[in-house]
Amino acid sequence: MSKQYETVIGLEVHVELATKTKIFCSCSTQFGGEPNTHTCPVCTGMPGSLPVLNKQVVEYALAVGLATNCQINQYCKFDRKNYFYPDNPQNYQISQLYLPICHDGWVEIETEAGKKKVRIHEIHMEEDAGKLIHDEWEDCSLVDFNRSGVPLIEIVSEADMRSADEVIAYLEKLRTTIQYLGASDCKLQEGSMRADVNLSVREAGQEKFGTRTEMKNLNSFRAIARAIEGERERQIDLLESGEPVVQETRRWDDAKGISRAMRSKEDAQDYRYFPDPDLVPVVISDEWLEKIRRAQPEMREEKMARYQEEFGLPAYDAQILTGSKHLADLFEAAAAICGRPKEVSNWLMVEGMRLAKELSMDVDEISFSPENLAALIGLVEKNVINRTVAKAVFEEIFKSDVDPEKYVEEKGLKMVSDQGRLRQVIEEIIAANPQSVQDFKNGKEKAAGFIVGQTMRAMKGKADPAAVNQLVKELLSQA
Amino acid sequence: MANKISDETIEYVGILAKLELSPEEKEDAKEDMARMLDYIDKLNELDTEGVEPMSHVFPVNNVFREDVVENGDDRENILANAPEKRDGAFVVPRTVE
Amino acid sequence: MSILTLTAVELGERIRAGEITAQEACAAALAQIKAAEPKINGFVTVDEEGALKQAEKVQRQIEEGKLSGPLAGVPVGIKDNLCIKGMRTTCSSKILSNFVPTYTAEAVVNLEKAGAVILGKTNMDEFAMGSTTETSAFGVTRNPWNLDHVPGGSSGGSCAAVAANECFYALGSDTGGSIRQPSSFCGVVGIKPTYGTVSRYGLVAYGSSLDQVGPIARNVRDCVTVLETISSHDAKDSTSVRRQDTDFTSALSPEVKGLRIGIPRDYFKEGLNPEVKEAVLKAVKVLTDQGAVAEEFDLSLVDYAIPAYYVIASAEASSNLSRFDGVKYGYRAEEYNGLHDMYKKSRSQGFGPEVKRRIMLGSFVLSSGYYDAYYLKALRTKALIKQAFDQAFSRYDIIIAPASPYTAPRLGESLKDPLQMYLGDIYTISVNLAGLPGMTVPCGQDSQGLPIGVQLIGDCFQEKKLIRAACALEESRGYESPALAGELENSWNAEAGQKEAAV
Repeated sequence: MSKQYETVIGLEVHVELATKTKIFCSCSTQFGGEPNTHTCPVCTGMPGSLPVLNKQVVEYALAVGLATNCQINQYCKFDRKNYFYPDNPQNYQISQLYLPICHDGWVEIETEAGKKKVRIHEIHMEEDAGKLIHDEWEDCSLVDFNRSGVPLIEIVSEADMRSADEVIAYLEKLRTTIQYLGASDCKLQEGSMRADVNLSVREAGQEKFGTRTEMKNLNSFRAIARAIEGERERQIDLLESGEPVVQETRRWDDAKGISRAMRSKEDAQDYRYFPDPDLVPVVISDEWLEKIRRAQPEMREEKMARYQEEFGLPAYDAQILTGSKHLADLFEAAAAICGRPKEVSNWLMVEGMRLAKELSMDVDEISFSPENLAALIGLVEKNVINRTVAKAVFEEIFKSDVDPEKYVEEKGLKMVSDQGRLRQVIEEIIAANPQSVQDFKNGKEKAAGFIVGQTMRAMKGKADPAAVNQLVKELLSQA
Repeated sequence: MANKISDETIEYVGILAKLELSPEEKEDAKEDMARMLDYIDKLNELDTEGVEPMSHVFPVNNVFREDVVENGDDRENILANAPEKRDGAFVVPRTVE
Repeated sequence: MSILTLTAVELGERIRAGEITAQEACAAALAQIKAAEPKINGFVTVDEEGALKQAEKVQRQIEEGKLSGPLAGVPVGIKDNLCIKGMRTTCSSKILSNFVPTYTAEAVVNLEKAGAVILGKTNMDEFAMGSTTETSAFGVTRNPWNLDHVPGGSSGGSCAAVAANECFYALGSDTGGSIRQPSSFCGVVGIKPTYGTVSRYGLVAYGSSLDQVGPIARNVRDCVTVLETISSHDAKDSTSVRRQDTDFTSALSPEVKGLRIGIPRDYFKEGLNPEVKEAVLKAVKVLTDQGAVAEEFDLSLVDYAIPAYYVIASAEASSNLSRFDGVKYGYRAEEYNGLHDMYKKSRSQGFGPEVKRRIMLGSFVLSSGYYDAYYLKALRTKALIKQAFDQAFSRYDIIIAPASPYTAPRLGESLKDPLQMYLGDIYTISVNLAGLPGMTVPCGQDSQGLPIGVQLIGDCFQEKKLIRAACALEESRGYESPALAGELENSWNAEAGQKEAAV
């Protein structure tokens, strides 16, 4: 193989919106629940039922559109996408084809290759499908409509990405943006964010795009990266051996590391879209749009700059803390309570990140209360505990959200500030170590260190190291 | 008849509509559809250049619901008419091979 | 005194006055149904037990003063495409032959609140697709005026049942004339209100942008009283219109002085049965004699309404009816091999030929490559038709037309040639495309004694103008009942008398 190939990638990203109710009925969107317990005639396609649009869906879609620099279609409509499948109760999905709510936007991504803009073709609103559970033994599938009608936005990018790195950076960018807006929690594993990858390859320097395939069933960044690599190789192999790439939808099997075509003669892929006569157009006034614009929260870039400016955090720390809206919220809440943003940042950046890594947790899964971290910082500041003890307490907060004051009290971890008791302990240790006294008198400063260490051990770490240091030197000189 | 409907077209529309027609039904369908399309082609006499397609007669827009949960668990009713059900779910022939 | 020959409003008055009980009225209607159904077949489902129970409850509520509306205690038939909780709703189709909704259509909820006693579900063309009630999977309905003739359709069961005194009024639905045409064939009054006036929630959809629920009754007052009762803004139907002017009964007076009537020349051309033409023009004269002003005019685009309608209605139907797949409710084929075969067999066995024909056509016109040429073209035509009506209504208060080119055809004549049958909808269809209100009032009979109705068409939200004209027409003629209705009543009365005598 001597030819150089370029990979051309576009993404279709589905995001489940964080509304309380479904897009067209007032059923709960809560995740989980027994099959079909969050359903009604509308989201199960009963005859005579009719959809009514959830206003919050439009507002979330607008917020995402504005945050991704999109143009807004101030007159938009819903269309029916017709296809038969058991997870689709009406056998049509209500979506937007002709007049999607947002179009022609972009986001900026940064990879090792540098900064670049990825263009967004459109964002449209639609309803999610139900879930199919396959029964191996009975040779049947069970249909659960709890997810049916949960609101989605589909963000369709242009074919602007050229590598898995760029794809991941783009997805991270969308995820943070949408999380910051509060429009979705964007959890890939739970399916609240899903990506379909459109990929083609072309010889380097070629203008024309190659034939693309669409890959589905990608539920982690790792799977996406592997699928891109796998599909790139598959297409190059085809081209090298002179075979054509077929435009088709393929299903990625991450366990096996291969993709398979999802074709069947029963899937004509002719969706017969037409405007849904049961729904009326959505007209977005300038005032409404302005209201949404004004209500947009501080986004990541602004936050990052503010953390550096206002709190004097290093750029790296600001970047990590703002990488997850959840973490940034935790940081800000704790900082506001204790008034020590740098301290809070240090705890999160050093101990927090260490523990997260150790427990292989996503930062979004960190779930202790900011009050407890703030209280811990207060205890250290007031010399109630020393740093060594504080680290151990932090770990408890991190793992089980303990109240540090109570915890320190119950476990007897407070520093001993009783000078008499400390003096007594040091005197005993000095008496038991005449050699060290001698060494000290001979000018060996290190000998004091040994006595300090012994003292700390005897105090089980609960003494203020500075006070111990001071007293050891004083008593040694008097010995 | 100006319109002619091929076997392939009837086959294709049958796949889209999930209808299985007997050979006689297919022949009838071909003829019925061709006649209807001939008749519908009358619309081509009409100059509709620049006319906006009208899906809704009235300019009603922005009909919304507030985002408030009103429906509770109604599973028993939802499944009441199911041809086949099990474990609180509808049963269909296996969807993946 | 015969209970059955009372109008709905008269019966309501007598019930409130304590002269007749709701149970007596219900029992009389059920007895008439029992006698009539072997001949008419206007009902798919009769809920004798439920109706008697409801009558008892309503009677109690009337006595307690909790119900005082004009329709309290009056028995009604509901077209079988309106869902009623706990009552089988079939749309006269095999595919829904076992479907029992767990919710009630909003129009029916409004009737229930008013104290209606529901007798059962009336027969119709399968999924409202047809003009004769012959496409029903539950047998044809016969015209009470002549049992060899169809009652029209698709609300043929409702109209026949009202004419045969099986119920005091009924609900129907009208997508392309399905209330107005059978009302004409059966000699009753029917109203298709302005689109959005009556909620579509719980009406099994055929062509969603065209469907409207409306009343069918034996006289104008009844029909208008029912319309007022079922009209409401419904938050569950996004296309429901907020109207402040649904006090339709306030227009129940024959005031037509100065009313400007448009007579579309194209509606009176060849193809119109001369007897029908004569009767309709006579109706116009009745109104002009009372001071209305009539004028012929060119409505234009008349020939394009039917093709545009069949594209739009079939396209919407192909999508609306895709939910009938044997998964969630309704018929599932006994034997099949895998998912797609299950879909195909259930649908192919469950739908009748006319429904399949329209689903196929609708799927085709929406399919890749044809959408613009057919569907968008039809929507553009619809826009032009609406414009033509807007123009007409800038000059006229109402338009008068036949409801059908002919009187009720003989059974079995119409289905042979579907296209020919579609052409019969020529006077009713554009009203649905433009969302207008339309109303049929009896205006005569042909030489065979079959009823002829005249259609009054108004601008959007102008039902009251139609109602005033309808009152004037009715006053000139009065209501005529088919002889059969009385004969049937005599037969069961006689039987009851014999039984009584035997006791």
